[in-house]
Amino acid sequence: MSVETAAPRGEQVARRRRFFTRQDKITLGFFIGIPTFLHVALVWFPAIATIGLSFTYWTGIKIEDITWAGLANYENIFFNTPIFWDAVRNNTIWILWFFFIATPLGVLLAYQIDREIRGHKLYQSAYFLPVVLSLAVTGIIWNFLLRPDGFVNGLLGLPISEAISFFGDERYNIWVIMIMASWRHIGYIMLLYLAGLKAVDGALREAATIDGATEWQTFRKVVFPAMKPVNIIVIVITIIESLRAFDMVYIIYGSSGGLPILGVLVFNNIAGEGASMKGAAYAVILFLLSIVPIITYLQQQFKDDVR
Amino acid sequence: MLNKISGHEVDRRLLLKGAAAGGLGIAGATMLAGCASDSGPVTFGVRTVDESPMAQAQAIVDAYTAKTGIEVTANFTESNAFQNNLSQYLQGTPDDAFQWMAGYRMQFFADQGLLVDISDVWDEIGDQFSDSYKIASTGSDGNQYFLPQSWYPWGLHFRKSMMAEIGLNPEDIYNWDDMMAALEELKGQGLIGLASADKGGWEAMGTFDILNARINGYQFHVDLLAGREKWTDDKVKEVFRHWEMLLPYMNTNVLDLEWDGAMQLLLQRQAGLFMNGSWFGANFLEQSQEDYDDLWIVPFPEINPDHGRDTIDAPLDGIAVAANGSNDAGAKEFVKFAASIEGVEAQLSTGIPLTSANNLQDTSAYDPFQKQQLAVMGEAKYITQFLDRDTRPDFAGPVVGPSFQEWFRDPSSVDSILESMQSQWDALPPL
Repeated sequence: MSVETAAPRGEQVARRRRFFTRQDKITLGFFIGIPTFLHVALVWFPAIATIGLSFTYWTGIKIEDITWAGLANYENIFFNTPIFWDAVRNNTIWILWFFFIATPLGVLLAYQIDREIRGHKLYQSAYFLPVVLSLAVTGIIWNFLLRPDGFVNGLLGLPISEAISFFGDERYNIWVIMIMASWRHIGYIMLLYLAGLKAVDGALREAATIDGATEWQTFRKVVFPAMKPVNIIVIVITIIESLRAFDMVYIIYGSSGGLPILGVLVFNNIAGEGASMKGAAYAVILFLLSIVPIITYLQQQFKDDVR
Repeated sequence: MLNKISGHEVDRRLLLKGAAAGGLGIAGATMLAGCASDSGPVTFGVRTVDESPMAQAQAIVDAYTAKTGIEVTANFTESNAFQNNLSQYLQGTPDDAFQWMAGYRMQFFADQGLLVDISDVWDEIGDQFSDSYKIASTGSDGNQYFLPQSWYPWGLHFRKSMMAEIGLNPEDIYNWDDMMAALEELKGQGLIGLASADKGGWEAMGTFDILNARINGYQFHVDLLAGREKWTDDKVKEVFRHWEMLLPYMNTNVLDLEWDGAMQLLLQRQAGLFMNGSWFGANFLEQSQEDYDDLWIVPFPEINPDHGRDTIDAPLDGIAVAANGSNDAGAKEFVKFAASIEGVEAQLSTGIPLTSANNLQDTSAYDPFQKQQLAVMGEAKYITQFLDRDTRPDFAGPVVGPSFQEWFRDPSSVDSILESMQSQWDALPPL
């Protein structure tokens, strides 16, 4: 950068600054200051405090009881706690299922609806409906259906003792949960993707058709690349949704080890009477697991953009 | 019933409602405390949303208000939610008085300075309770922080009419062989021998407690829970060996049922025996008087003749005063009333059966089922509270619960489960 250009640019900035009156500054100060303060106080402070506390022993009651534990909580989790690995396994299944089954299904549905197949309005509402419900409500609904004394077992005429153990049998309970979670996730992805598809310029598709591309080729080579920003969001959301899973499992299993997942382990160890900072360590592990792949992925994407 | 359909939704909603009401109550209390003396309104945290115990708590509140003119607001919260939030609740703006449990669970919070010393209340009405109850109400500093209200025994429950039809007399189930023979008979009839649940992670602890106490004795059980004995001990493996012998007679969906699901098995005559605390008698009574009259309890059978049937889980429920409440003096007066014979009489006026912890309650007025509970209790020399009330909370909930569930999934992995439990105990922070 040369010296000549630096001077006028400085002037420009100074001139631009003069546009702010005192009142503007105060207003801006409020608009930026208050959210920043709240963000730091309510998000960053607790997050950093949690990281700090994960290296301590504490029952969560009296501040003076905090004692340094070093890596003990982490060692305990990694080498002493088999349920942690069960949870990692379940969360991995969750993420793979979402990635390879639920999310592609959502994309497929969005594409079909965007092509305005017959009855697409009906499909759209039907698939979108579950998205309006929180995961907790989803859990309540499915629990009502699949409990031993629930609707499905009732319909099959099975007494409690012979009821199909949808939530209790470890051979298939994770898949039951996956279907429940997908019920909502598919609609969510469909909605996001549909919004993206609507924004794709129709001329692109036309051009592809004129060039003699098949439907699949059009999607693969033209629409999909044009949807890059939405694709990034969908991937990030898929990762986040699978790792932060908590509400639905908590509704069905409570805080016990019925179906261990990381979110429930955090809760089980940090809330309640048995509060210990092992829970904080779980939270940090979960935080790292969610943030590292996302940051890596986003960095990769932005690097491509810069290039 | 709503609670059974959608448990946690109700929890959360009631919790919020309770929190809001509690907040309002406290705000009101502080405002009034300015002009009135310390006999201002009192808030009372009740850890149930079940019909019968709610009615009993409300009866105490109404009787107290009628007697003293002091307004008491009862805030009801579902018990699991109440438990999970207790530590936050007690550090925030809790109700002045709240329902809780005796033993280690109370001591832990007393040690943290979250409960009010109510030794002076014990000085006034302590003669209404037995000495063992006073011990269970005493914190590690020797002061009392708790007043017992009611108790219930854990034992084998069954329906008299079912047993009569089959021709079994459960009163004759004295030892392990009798029990196995009875279970075999029930299975032969196409019934579930022993209704079991462990979805909540705590239900099966009662079965572990009694097996351990029967096989290894009271002292070993207490020492194990206090960390003085090891989970990897062969004695503990022996407990699981016996437990495994019961598995073929249990319903197969143990991990899909909570305690009330297993209770339904007994209520609907699908199961012969049900190992549980007698509190569910109230649920039978809600169903019908006939169902309640049909219910009976016997002690868990003897396994090791050295120990006979000398131990029983008989948890004490009661009431305590929160240190962060806004009206300690008023709360002390209220808990004194609630635990005293006056409070007992108020609860009895609802017509719901109550085995109170109060010596002055006329046990001759007990119904036959209650008298049988008393007899079962009377046979025992040692009383334990319950596994999750007798050991560290950061062990019972996060470690023991999931470990027992894991054992139900794969009973053959008992050795590695016990090893893991021991190493998790060893990794607990010093208290």
